[in-house]
Amino acid sequence: MDLRKVWKLLCGRRAVSVVVSNVILTGAVIAVSFTVLLWAQYRSSAYNKQFSEAMDADIAKLKERLAFEYAFYNQSGSKLSVYLMNCGTIDNMTIQTVYVSNSTSVKVFSSINLTNFNGVEIADQDLDRGEEGCFVLSSLSLQAGTYTLRIITGRGSTFDHTFVA
Amino acid sequence: MTIRLSLRKRSRKLIANSKGFSSVIGTTFMVLVMMFLSTSVFLWTLSQNTLYNEALRARNQEEADRRNENVVALSGNYSVSGEDVTVKVVLKNAGSVASQIINLWVLDTDPSNRRYANKSLNLNLNPGVVLDLVTSSWLTVTIPGANANHTFTSWFVTARGNTIPLEKEQGVIVAQLAQGIGSLALDFYKFRYFEYESATKLKNYPNGNVGFTVPANQYIAFGCSLTNLDPGKQAIVFDPHSLLWVIVPTSDVPHSTWWYIVNVVQDGTINATYSPISLAYGETKMIIFASANDLGLSSFSRQTTPKAGLPAPVFLLLHGNIGGIAYGQNLPFVSLYFA
Repeated sequence: MDLRKVWKLLCGRRAVSVVVSNVILTGAVIAVSFTVLLWAQYRSSAYNKQFSEAMDADIAKLKERLAFEYAFYNQSGSKLSVYLMNCGTIDNMTIQTVYVSNSTSVKVFSSINLTNFNGVEIADQDLDRGEEGCFVLSSLSLQAGTYTLRIITGRGSTFDHTFVA
Repeated sequence: MTIRLSLRKRSRKLIANSKGFSSVIGTTFMVLVMMFLSTSVFLWTLSQNTLYNEALRARNQEEADRRNENVVALSGNYSVSGEDVTVKVVLKNAGSVASQIINLWVLDTDPSNRRYANKSLNLNLNPGVVLDLVTSSWLTVTIPGANANHTFTSWFVTARGNTIPLEKEQGVIVAQLAQGIGSLALDFYKFRYFEYESATKLKNYPNGNVGFTVPANQYIAFGCSLTNLDPGKQAIVFDPHSLLWVIVPTSDVPHSTWWYIVNVVQDGTINATYSPISLAYGETKMIIFASANDLGLSSFSRQTTPKAGLPAPVFLLLHGNIGGIAYGQNLPFVSLYFA
């Protein structure tokens, strides 16, 4: 193409509006497409995060395991002493709620104070792997019989134990 | 205009027409975006599921290990001194996985003193290992108000969270002992005799021939399964004067034959000299009687059985010491027939 023709093309006015409109339209479509891509990625990453958290929580729950070493009810003092050990594979096991029940009644305790077996309070109030701990439920008036002790951990796991009052 | 020409014209018009170009780009982008997002979400979800499955597998393995843990606490007993309660026990790992015992709990079950105590332990038991803590005072806890007349319950806790109850030893059943006298019991069903492979070697040792009809006029040795059931729980040691005595009553004058105690090595060879055999409390051993001479006084020589066609009673004349104090016991009641 010689220079004359190039000059003619640049200076020619015919169909300019069609080219411009097409460029604008294409640009707008690409811009919208990228916006849609970013929005979709944002939404999917939010979903990923939510799913990942739920999965991590499930895995952590799966790793929790609590062993009941002994549960002793002191009739005269109306106290139940429960001795536990974290025999799972995850640290920081906390105790959220404790239920003491039999066929006729349920008692709920949500303020649990964890101590070592020697009575010293556990500073972080949780049980790490292999750690032993104990808590005492006071003012617990139980009739003689078999009771179920249910412990709900901070991660939502449930552990049951039966004892005789 | 032919149909062919018309189609070509339409095709050129379609290609040359720029209308709808942006829609094509938009659609292409949308398809790419959708494919990219769905693929990445799918792969990521797959990886999360793998993580969960891995955690589940680990959990199942732990559960299987926990169930396979099988430690038994046998021969349990308690020794009480003041308020100190010592647990005497034999721990045996009868399972297929190694086990760590981390805690011992002892409970005084007496209604007047329902108290308990625990002791932290760190005992590692490989499969098949037997840990005898009967004579040890290591497992001692202090229970305020405890005394020897109280009854106790105890259990061990493993690192996997299993509890092992102590199986309290059965008291000695008097009928297990010869008429309730003496501290040694003989298992009649394991009484056996041995023929000789050579001058000093027993044939088919230690199985021998279980039975009460013994070949006559032959070099024979006898094996008796003895258990120490001493109520004082002391070890019994046999000296070389212990013997198995056979009386032949079917003649005007009773005749006797005897077989002195000997030491036999694994392959059935009888030692020329005798070293005292010790039997711990609760232990059962096969004691061999083979020598015509007391090995404390003379050398080993084989003994022959009486002639055929004779029934004869057998007495075990056991001599030695119990807990360091001189002891002797005669165990009767086996009878033999020489054929």
